[in-house]
Amino acid sequence: MEHLLYIGTLIAVWTIVALAANLVIGYTGMMSMGQAAYLGVGAYVTATLNILLGVNFYLALLIGSIITAVVGAITLLPLLRIGGFYFALATLGINFVFFDFFHNLAPRVEGSEGLYGLQLPDLLASSAPRFATTVAVAIACALLCQAIVTSPLGRALRATRDRPDALAALGKDPRRYQVLIWTFAAGLTGLAGGLYAATLFYIDPTLFTLDASILVLVYIGVGGLASTTGSVLGVILLIAFNESLRFLGLPSQFVGPFQQAIYGLLLILLMIFRRRGLVGKYDFTE
Amino acid sequence: MTLRNNGLYIDRLSMNFGGVVVFEDISIEAPPSKVTACIGPNGAGKTTIINIVCGVFPPRAGKVYIDGVQLSGVRPFNTVRYGLCRSFQDVRIFPSLTAIENVLVAMPNHLSGLFLPGGWRQERANRERARHLLQAVALESAAERAAGELPFGQQKLLSLVRAIATGARVLLLDEPAAGLESDLIPHVVDLIRSLVKAEGRATFLVEHNIELVRQVADQICVLQAGRIIASGDVRRVLDDQTVIREYLGQVYNV
Amino acid sequence: MTILLQVLSTGVGLAGYYALIAVGFALIFGTLRIFHVAHGTVFMIAGYAFFSLHRLLGVNVFASAVVGVFCAVVAGLAIDKIVYGPVLRRGGGMFAVFIASLGAALIVEAGFLAWSKGVVSVARTGMLDTFIVGGVAFRAFDFVIFAFVAAAFGALYLWLHRTSTGLEVRGLTDNAYLAAVVGVNVRRTRYAIFLIASALAGLAGVLVAYDTGLEPSIGFKMLFIGVVAVILGGVRNILLGTVVGATCLGVLTAFAGFLFPEWNSFTIFLIMIVLIIIRPQGILG
Repeated sequence: MEHLLYIGTLIAVWTIVALAANLVIGYTGMMSMGQAAYLGVGAYVTATLNILLGVNFYLALLIGSIITAVVGAITLLPLLRIGGFYFALATLGINFVFFDFFHNLAPRVEGSEGLYGLQLPDLLASSAPRFATTVAVAIACALLCQAIVTSPLGRALRATRDRPDALAALGKDPRRYQVLIWTFAAGLTGLAGGLYAATLFYIDPTLFTLDASILVLVYIGVGGLASTTGSVLGVILLIAFNESLRFLGLPSQFVGPFQQAIYGLLLILLMIFRRRGLVGKYDFTE
Repeated sequence: MTLRNNGLYIDRLSMNFGGVVVFEDISIEAPPSKVTACIGPNGAGKTTIINIVCGVFPPRAGKVYIDGVQLSGVRPFNTVRYGLCRSFQDVRIFPSLTAIENVLVAMPNHLSGLFLPGGWRQERANRERARHLLQAVALESAAERAAGELPFGQQKLLSLVRAIATGARVLLLDEPAAGLESDLIPHVVDLIRSLVKAEGRATFLVEHNIELVRQVADQICVLQAGRIIASGDVRRVLDDQTVIREYLGQVYNV
Repeated sequence: MTILLQVLSTGVGLAGYYALIAVGFALIFGTLRIFHVAHGTVFMIAGYAFFSLHRLLGVNVFASAVVGVFCAVVAGLAIDKIVYGPVLRRGGGMFAVFIASLGAALIVEAGFLAWSKGVVSVARTGMLDTFIVGGVAFRAFDFVIFAFVAAAFGALYLWLHRTSTGLEVRGLTDNAYLAAVVGVNVRRTRYAIFLIASALAGLAGVLVAYDTGLEPSIGFKMLFIGVVAVILGGVRNILLGTVVGATCLGVLTAFAGFLFPEWNSFTIFLIMIVLIIIRPQGILG
């Protein structure tokens, strides 16, 4: 039961990450391969504030989220001028740049690679309330994202995705929408990062690598681009699938590689047969 | 000249790409409530004029005025703020947005549905106007269809409507009839006559379709070999023997 | 000063490997616009094949090397046929191919992860000779690498400039669309490109397996180094660009490794990002 609650909490956390990623990738067409970096920033800022400076966890979470949003904006601005493919490549590089930051500069507990010792409030301290709280937050995020994409802003985002030059010709600067949504998504991802730290009790740099960013892509790729339902669906399906692998009885050293191989296969199959994912509304043909 | 204070005024524009002179020292006036057409052979530089006016690239010499205000170094997405909007020859609608969304996103205050207190009302008013515009080109039934699924002719009409939706007082239309089936051309004529002229906009259009020009244009200039070889009232110019010989050809039956 | 020279010598040594990987990647990307992430995987397959044969089964060094390169070629061609072909045929663009390539690389890397459990596998026994000149240590093996790289690039030059397929490849680099229009046999040229690129990656894999050893993530690492080298050098002149890019990168990483040993990835990828922002067409582009 403990374990089920734990998995459920993870699903809620990753759902938030997927929702944020879908906002920028699916709705606005900005291929971000570096979302894990923002997850890490959120996790580390929240954890550091809480563990080392004794800041109240909720406050730490809020600050972590805001700082991640700022970091998101800063990392985006120099990349705004470059297009599609090279942009994706640059965001891929961000994973490695941040990993070294985390590895070399982020605080860690003496003698270990990572950070632990969070002082969690009641709503998050034990597994059942934590599950309920993170699920509630995830639902709130989903509703918020849905409100955004069905609003006139969502229209502008999709126009930015389709033809930014035409949008400019109509008097609207697409970069403004790009920065806005990217910053918002980074903030959301930072929030998820703080919750992630609370769920795992222990964070270290290896959690926030290119692998994690690719994982996010697989979640929304499978679930469906430009679809809130898709983001949720992808996370639930894949994490559930992951868990079911434990029942296969594979020796533990094979479980990780097997998962990775499945993800790789999924990516290939998606690209060949169904680029829009399960319930997605956008098929990228670039 | 009071006319220069309104509409589009192109003052002694010159342009070349590298060593090739596109045009030299041309001046065009497109006053409000009138349609000014520019015709000429391919490669004469008609689209280049539009590109320069919209700030895509600067001219070698000359100035552009919108309602008396000089445009120089204005980035393309800022031109709408000066009251200027263009349509593209190759359409460029937003394929994954529905037809009505294409029109809505063009409107100047299209985001106010979100933030302002009267936001929902604004959005409703926008939708009303958008439907009205779509009706003008018989696209109302396709309002909720994805624009990418529409046939080219309807996409073209949609792009014209979209340019109008920006509220720009000066419209630059780049070959609005190009690629349209003949049964859709009357829609373009109606659109220009009713929405554009009736609402007092100045229109500068570049076209090959002489019939369309004859039906909607008030004045015309003929661009050839880098110069304007004739300009003025549309009927007079199109009947002019030089123009017929140089550009329209003997075959053109007036 | 000696330290400077030492770092330089290390850098140039590294550059050799980078050049072999990068030139293959440049060939594929420059002509076919395919971001062949799995190129690093091909490199790894050769290395692991060589390691298994030579170290685990005791097969002669040269035979193992040949088999290793052969495996790389087969792998490269197979990936193109099985993965890229279907993606492209069904309307996938450059980006979809990139993601599919990533998928293929993940699958193969997973295989190696399961097999070798993350252990570094070195194929040689004993230390390699080093000799000291003027206070700077040179590795004998670096000369071997240099010899191979020079031979490979020489052969590549001859192929590109003296054969008809080579001419077609150069045409594709300049203008793929036009090349197809004038009748360049894109399919045959494509085989040749993947074959040669994979062979070069395979050669690099064998050399690295012999020299410093392999671990499952080295495929990705080498691939991205190759990518940065290609971005640095540009794809307009494949050979010269790669040499320039690989040398610059080799020296840069050697210095970075010396000055900031913990910031290796950071340096390489920061360089890549900065390059992409300010000059994506590379130094020579």
